[in-house]
Amino acid sequence: MKRTLYIFSDGEIKRKGNTIYFESSEGKKYVPIENTQEILIFGEVSLNKRLLEFLNENEIVVHFFNYYGFYIGSFYPREHLNSGYMILKQAEHYLDTTKRLRLAKKFVWGAVKNIIKVLEYYIARGKPLHEIVERIANLEPSISIANSVENLMAIEGNIRDHYYDSFNIIIENENFTFEGRTRKPPKNMINALISFSNSLVYVVCLSEIYHTHLDPRIGFLHSTNMRRFTLNLDVAEIFKPIIGDRLIFSVINKGIIKPSHFEEKLNGIVLNEKGKQLFVQEFDERLKTTIKHRKLGRHVSYRELIRLELYKLQKHLIGEEEYTPFVAWW
Amino acid sequence: MITGTLIWYYYICPREVWLMSRQLTPWEENPFIELGRLISQESYERDTKEVQIENIVIDIVKTQDEEVIIGEVKKSSRFIKSATMQLAFYLLKLKEYGINAKGILLFPKEKRRIPLSLTKEMEEKLNLAIDRINQIIKSETPPPATKNRFCAKCGYREFCWA
Ligand code: SF4
Repeated sequence: MKRTLYIFSDGEIKRKGNTIYFESSEGKKYVPIENTQEILIFGEVSLNKRLLEFLNENEIVVHFFNYYGFYIGSFYPREHLNSGYMILKQAEHYLDTTKRLRLAKKFVWGAVKNIIKVLEYYIARGKPLHEIVERIANLEPSISIANSVENLMAIEGNIRDHYYDSFNIIIENENFTFEGRTRKPPKNMINALISFSNSLVYVVCLSEIYHTHLDPRIGFLHSTNMRRFTLNLDVAEIFKPIIGDRLIFSVINKGIIKPSHFEEKLNGIVLNEKGKQLFVQEFDERLKTTIKHRKLGRHVSYRELIRLELYKLQKHLIGEEEYTPFVAWW
Repeated sequence: MITGTLIWYYYICPREVWLMSRQLTPWEENPFIELGRLISQESYERDTKEVQIENIVIDIVKTQDEEVIIGEVKKSSRFIKSATMQLAFYLLKLKEYGINAKGILLFPKEKRRIPLSLTKEMEEKLNLAIDRINQIIKSETPPPATKNRFCAKCGYREFCWA
């Protein structure tokens, strides 16, 4: 089974024969290339072109994070699955404003449905979230009547604000009070977790896109500017609540992540090295968790669910089947 | 232009023909395809001569008592129908060039060889298949996925059934 390689320490990463070799003050490590799915680098790591060539040949995506755990960028190897046809279809759905808006709405709709699922889960556990669910449900119809992507983005922001109101009720831990979303830099611990968690979901979506014929630069909800990856941001909307946010609640409520795992930096709060490690470990476990897929009739992991979502999107683009976002049923 | 590979796909699943025609190649995590290539390279080294005529590539050609024999190497007889029709297609192509050849299907792993000569009936079937393939390729959308016995090991299965 292929695994994600996470590098937290500072050191040097190179190619040695058919392995990825990592040397740090903590020791040496060899990872066979065929066991590697992708690499996430958090430490201060030096690497050379020879390694990049090796990763390119083996179709391995590398994601880089800075010292504070903020996403910097990715090494996205040469496309190995090329279909001019698919790129044209993707561009067509971007350029045609009706088609684009239609898809953009699906991502928002999927996000909202999954947000409601998360809230209902906590309602079932006795949390007083009915009112918030109701407020969100009331906003849901405005998605379908949105007449531009900007308008849609505004509705989404609105829904998200209501959703964030639920965080304090779900977490009920005074160390982790949430006072509105702050990003660069996050102003408190819960914001630091949200930022970190979201960027992990973004990079996993990007890695999965790499193994499809889709172009990550053409997003529908998030505007394309031809330099940045945006399609992964669209797809992540659907998975952020059910993968990322659920994990945030669980690591806090189970006491896995504690105030001691944060530090003050950049006039804000960020996870320290131990905190990042713990969260990533839980995140990785979560991605491997499987659920029984109704249509495929077998167990699929959350990571595979993301891949399937991309396939559904491809089917929409080639005009085969209208895309319906994945909505959790638990 | 119709190729032997398209004939091969057609007899496995017409949907694959459409997907391949749009270069929507499946992502193969397993070395299944690679393995097939290796078997054909290694098993018959003595008389292997890859021959290309127009857009068709023939695995093996040898002449025996003035007779041309072409071989097609496959890793298993699971896709025997596809393999037979693909080879028949090559025989048909050669016939158009005025070469009356015989074929032989080779399954080195199973130590099986099946001789094949082009019949009228096969020619008719092939011509129908060629028409149908052209139609499929021209069509805007792929033929719908229909569960068949090849789905389980098909590189498109997640795509088709997602
Ligand atoms: S999964 Fe089944 S339906 Fe889909 S292309 Fe493969 S064989 Fe055809």
